[in-house]
Amino acid sequence: MVGEVQTGLLQNSGEIPDSLSTELLALVRGERVRVFRRPIAYAVSPDRLTGVDCHLASASGARVRGVGTVLSRASVTGGRLVQGSSQVRVTRGTSNRRLAWSHYMARPGVVEVVGKARAADLAGGFTLDAPPAESLDLGAVSARFVDVVQSSARLDRRAPFRMARTRFRWTAEPGEPDVRLQLRGDNVRTLRLTLPDPFAPGVAELCEDLALHDWLLTALIEIVRRARPGSVARPEAAARLAPAIDHILHLWMPAARVQDSLLHVWESLEHRPGFTRQWQSLVNRVRDHVTVALLTVAGGDGRSGD
Amino acid sequence: MLIFAISDKGGTGRSVTSGNIVYRRSLQGNDVCYVDFDFGSPTVGAIFSISEAERGTRRGGTHRYLQGEVAEPHRIDIWAESDREGLRVKPPGAGQLVLYPGDEGGGEFPTLTEELLRQCVRLFSRLDEEFDLVMVDLSAGRSFAAHLALAATARLPGVHSRWLVFHRWTRQHIIAAAGLVNGERGLLDVGAEHGHDPAELADRVRFVRTAVLEQDSAELAGLRPTQLAWLNDCDRELRELSARHKVGRTRMLGKVPLDPVLQWREQLISDEDVLASQIANAGTVAAFDDLAKKVVDDNAWEGL
Amino acid sequence: MTPVNATFGEVAAERRIASSPLSHVSIELGHLYMEDFEAGPDRLRQQFRRAEPWASTARRSWQERVPGGRARVSTCFLIDDYFSRFSTPAELIPVIVETAADSGLTIDYLARESACARAGGVEPAKLVEDRLVADPPVGTNGSRPPARETGWLCNGTRSPVAGVVQAMGVAQKWRPPAQNAKRGHSVFVDVELWNDDDGERTWSCPFLAAVWQLLRLGMLRDDGRPPVVPQPRGTTFPDDWADLPPIIRLVPSAAPFAAYTTLSVLSSRFMPVELAVRTILSQVAVDAEVLGQVVSRSEDEGVPLEDELVDRLSYVFT
Repeated sequence: MVGEVQTGLLQNSGEIPDSLSTELLALVRGERVRVFRRPIAYAVSPDRLTGVDCHLASASGARVRGVGTVLSRASVTGGRLVQGSSQVRVTRGTSNRRLAWSHYMARPGVVEVVGKARAADLAGGFTLDAPPAESLDLGAVSARFVDVVQSSARLDRRAPFRMARTRFRWTAEPGEPDVRLQLRGDNVRTLRLTLPDPFAPGVAELCEDLALHDWLLTALIEIVRRARPGSVARPEAAARLAPAIDHILHLWMPAARVQDSLLHVWESLEHRPGFTRQWQSLVNRVRDHVTVALLTVAGGDGRSGD
Repeated sequence: MLIFAISDKGGTGRSVTSGNIVYRRSLQGNDVCYVDFDFGSPTVGAIFSISEAERGTRRGGTHRYLQGEVAEPHRIDIWAESDREGLRVKPPGAGQLVLYPGDEGGGEFPTLTEELLRQCVRLFSRLDEEFDLVMVDLSAGRSFAAHLALAATARLPGVHSRWLVFHRWTRQHIIAAAGLVNGERGLLDVGAEHGHDPAELADRVRFVRTAVLEQDSAELAGLRPTQLAWLNDCDRELRELSARHKVGRTRMLGKVPLDPVLQWREQLISDEDVLASQIANAGTVAAFDDLAKKVVDDNAWEGL
Repeated sequence: MTPVNATFGEVAAERRIASSPLSHVSIELGHLYMEDFEAGPDRLRQQFRRAEPWASTARRSWQERVPGGRARVSTCFLIDDYFSRFSTPAELIPVIVETAADSGLTIDYLARESACARAGGVEPAKLVEDRLVADPPVGTNGSRPPARETGWLCNGTRSPVAGVVQAMGVAQKWRPPAQNAKRGHSVFVDVELWNDDDGERTWSCPFLAAVWQLLRLGMLRDDGRPPVVPQPRGTTFPDDWADLPPIIRLVPSAAPFAAYTTLSVLSSRFMPVELAVRTILSQVAVDAEVLGQVVSRSEDEGVPLEDELVDRLSYVFT
């Protein structure tokens, strides 16, 4: 299994209600947008397919051709974050030539390798720093799903702050449980999972959840960096930190919809690098700074005498 | 916010000035990017001292992106990749500074197709999501790039966009700049065709005077009184002319003084160029700094 | 303390897919277009006379194939009221039913072609439009949106048009179109799905015919429910096509309208249309859950189905 999730800030001044999320995500007529309200508002579009026939990146550089369909969906979390997620299950093809398209349509979300390939070689290729330009580009597919949501005229485009999207590329192979997460340049993250059952339906959801929290952490680090607490005047830094408090701090909800059998992946990432530990420390820093700034203002009034 | 840099004619210093504006803006703490839409001459890499993209990139720039050949145009992080050592150290508090170059060997596009337009809308929308300021450098004159930008922004009503028209302080340039905005098939005309409200669009256009010779500048110190008086007359005439053509002070965002460094070396001017090597004038940097502030300052853009 | 397993669910988060009753085969005894109607009653008589042997053969072969011989076979007939309207239900339907009976045929279900475009509040054609997944040419890696000529669908790569060339760029020469899954040589098919002339959507005949096949295969859902459900006939037929339910059941005891497979007995002039239908159907993503339901039921009955939807369609051109 390979996939890529793009995560970004919804281009709207405030949080959007479930009803609007539902409207933005109605990508297929006659298909329901599923809406969850606990433990955090989450709406997800119906799945859509995109046809591909191209090279699959491989770590060894071997030329491997794959044909099939990419399964994608878009989602909105907390009325504030948007994700586009694409995945494919790579399988060995039954033929060494391309078949009629109806063959692939009967296998949604599957890309069949025409010829031979090794799973580990493909997983390595997919998580390369820069896969060859002509190889399968799930990121571009996911990005278009984010674009569809962001370009809605129902959004006011006055986002409280600017933030780059993150690209979370993942692979899941069969084997002894193992988790390898890597941060790369240009907001790219790669996750290589080895699981007893890499094809379980919950794997993609797990990766979407990880991508979401990685974005939150990335965004909070960036907001704190821009605010430069300690280098600029307190009220100024506090004002720059405020959007974090207003818009993202409450969105941290690790493993909200992750299947029990996959919780160990989250737990191991909590151990190292320790997502929640870092998040909590940043949250404390933001809150403390804003509190001190408020106290200073309150106290300062008395002293300055105006 | 999207800022479109356009000029009536070549040789106004549009690219180098707009490059310096984004540079200053990033020093002021904003995340900014510079997008090369000068399709006929994609050479903006030189301004940022990116030798790899001096004549455009080979890794899929704005041309190939618009034609749908690459998913995203190649991006260059100036703070990390510039050949100038002075630029490779990101000062504390500075924001991102990213360049999207054109393609090496890329040329002008002959017609505006729906595909190109969609790609362009997608690009502007994504950049606006990530950057505080997106500077798009358009070709000189009535160009395909300007047409594309007008059509794309008409489809992005929620995205703030502003237009900077660069012109030199001469009779010909003033008339040409006015024509580019208000004339037949000018910005307002073509904008209206694509669904822009001409009055609203006009409010989002400001002029930037380049290579301006100030009366009190050091360059004029050696002139005879008669010459100075003559220059004074010229300047007054130009001011009257510009006011008549709606290019006057009220619509001016700022001006950039004549600086030899800008003429000979079309590059970013760092504080070091002023302070340490003293090859550039302090006034030039001050002008860029001022423009970088005003370009996002709503007060400078209030309706007239 | 013993940990307690909690279960929690939200109705709005669930996806429910109703199953629809299915026959083994749905036999289409014919289409009736204005030109057939204008050709007089003999045309209809001839059509049924030619269809009868094929219909009974199909019925027999399914009886042999189904364990226990209890094959569920339903027949249907389609009247065009979309591209042109002629006569009235009250006048025409009794004639059609009688003429069929003269040839020993029973029409179980009668459908209006416009039902494929709109049936009550549902637009089946739009459900299909949103489920199209274009057959990708070699080199399609997802980096750009699927090349799509609005309103057209093909099975390969079109000939390049003199498109965007940058100034001083290289102009393209003519190249032939190519079928994606070609073997040696191409059979390139390009189908018009609709046009939006005069600001109004007009679906093409092949597109509606593809929707018709999907309805007969029970593959479409609108919010989990079948979009068109056959209605029982009244004692009389209305005078306006618009007042006739999209699909009516003429025989109360008929086997279900939708079926695992379809057989269409058509005049050979429909061959190009049906080629187009197959081109479209090979590019429709049917809900995986619906597909799964049908497969598991057919397996339970001991009648395994072909994987690919297009392989569940068969034709007799007379």
